[in-house]
Amino acid sequence: MLALILKRLLTAVPVLLVVATLTFFLMRMVPGGPFDADKNLPPAIVANLNAKYQLDKPVAEQYVIYLTRLAKGDLGISYKYVNRTVLDILSEAMPVSLQLGSAALLLAVIIGVPLGTLAAVKRGTWLDVAAMFLSTAGISVPGFVTGAFLIFIFGIWLKILPVALWESPAHMILPALTLAFSPAAYLARLTRASVLEILEKDWVRTARSKGLSHWSTVMKHTLRNALVPVVTVLGPLTAILITGSFVVEYLYAIPGMGRFFVTAVTNRDYDLIMGTTLIFAALLIVTNAIVDVAYQILDPRMKVEG
Amino acid sequence: MTASLNTALEQPAKPVSRVALAFARLKKIPAAYVAFWVVCLICLMAILSAAGVPLSPYAFDQATDDLLVAPSMKHPMGTDELGRDLFARVIYGSRLSIAIGFVTAGVAFLLGTTYGAISGYCGGKIDTLLMRGVDIAYSLPDLLVMILIGVLVGKGTFGILFALGLVSWMGTARLVRAQLLQLKEEEFVEAAKAAGQDGFTIVMKHLLPNAMGPIIVALTFTVPSAILSESTLSFIGLGLSAPECSWGTLASDGWRSLRAHPHLLGFPSLFIFLTVLSFNALGDGLRDVLDPRTRLFKG
Repeated sequence: MLALILKRLLTAVPVLLVVATLTFFLMRMVPGGPFDADKNLPPAIVANLNAKYQLDKPVAEQYVIYLTRLAKGDLGISYKYVNRTVLDILSEAMPVSLQLGSAALLLAVIIGVPLGTLAAVKRGTWLDVAAMFLSTAGISVPGFVTGAFLIFIFGIWLKILPVALWESPAHMILPALTLAFSPAAYLARLTRASVLEILEKDWVRTARSKGLSHWSTVMKHTLRNALVPVVTVLGPLTAILITGSFVVEYLYAIPGMGRFFVTAVTNRDYDLIMGTTLIFAALLIVTNAIVDVAYQILDPRMKVEG
Repeated sequence: MTASLNTALEQPAKPVSRVALAFARLKKIPAAYVAFWVVCLICLMAILSAAGVPLSPYAFDQATDDLLVAPSMKHPMGTDELGRDLFARVIYGSRLSIAIGFVTAGVAFLLGTTYGAISGYCGGKIDTLLMRGVDIAYSLPDLLVMILIGVLVGKGTFGILFALGLVSWMGTARLVRAQLLQLKEEEFVEAAKAAGQDGFTIVMKHLLPNAMGPIIVALTFTVPSAILSESTLSFIGLGLSAPECSWGTLASDGWRSLRAHPHLLGFPSLFIFLTVLSFNALGDGLRDVLDPRTRLFKG
């Protein structure tokens, strides 16, 4: 187990390097620089700024400079948020995004897995049909529509929940619900398919013929096995949550990573783009590693090759 | 008994095409069948609109004298701040939204099938290398890549299509590879090889046609996800913007006046939702019908 985790961490380094390289050159191929949008800066000042931040050097040289700095743990500074390093910004934005993301993930699992299980166990009944309609609808709604709908109902019409900023637990409710909606639907569909498959296995029949009740068969013999594919999607799910949070943070004006990433891209805030992308990639690598470890706990027969 | 056998012998069963067979099976799944017709209707709307057929009284300049009116008999979906009839705008926007969905699926098909076929047919080291590439491409969140690419290529329709195409092919590639890895061990492939056919012919004539079912299913899911991605990108201001008009840009414009004029966001969103829902439901149905790995229709 430990060897697996170590191996995963070691392969993370080259993957992050590839991501960093791709992002770096992609970013520099984009026309425009960080100081173009500023109002009427004389060319001389722009030239000075570029020189100060070493943006006047050839791109290949800048790449080497960046990687050297990165190796020392220096993520650089923001060109837009005056006197703030990328590390400053990210260490403020990251906890916000992590809170939002984990709240949403929790909600998605709490709603999605039971809904899918229920639909599978009650296969063919109106409950199944309703649950599946709901979850197909759930994966078909753009995040901004869910968000706007919730804002309209709870913020504008009922006026019971705050619809912007990130200050109290009450501020978390709507964004977390918005973010959780699609993943919950996705999980419900997946859990249903997986439980249905397991319910057909021989050992489930054995358990039933032993006289175990329907529900205790489901809870004790089916769910644990059915959860393997559910855990597998934890990786893609994290990706959904990350991209979802771009929209949710935009909708609710939450100062999280997604919002900083979107503004950084439009501002050509090079170091901030790099920093955010690398953090996102690292997050994905970590969740994929967790998935591998979780596999072995759920099903010891599975030998994961690093 | 003999009589029925005789008639059966006298009138050999008409060869049923695979498409007709699939369609007959689809009919038995009510949700998918309804979804199929909704998809047809929406596509028809987009095609007619692109062909210049006026589907609404305000189809041509969309302009009216009523600014920001709520939905009424005269304007079923209301009007926007410039007095443009929203119903006409939603019809007009369907062209771009639907086109983006289909073009992306087309790109995913071409790119993904080629890549997956090479990987699956060659196998070995080439396969490992190509699939590592897919793993890396997969590990980045789509929206992240699309935002970066979109900024690179430009925010117009071409930029969006390029970005969407680039993030949509990996799933198809993986699928085609997995199918081919399995199929190439079959005896008919061995027979084709023994008959002296080259790799290209075997892939095109023998392997891909057999893998078509799952590929079509995957493509059916690519269309709605492209429509969703486009609208999301446009919504956060990194996709299309005026003068381009898609359901995403309409929703994005509507978001700014949600409090006072919810219809401006509501109707474009409803169309995005309906379209994506129908494609997803159709995809679910097609998977049951076309994909041999699902077991709804045994034998």
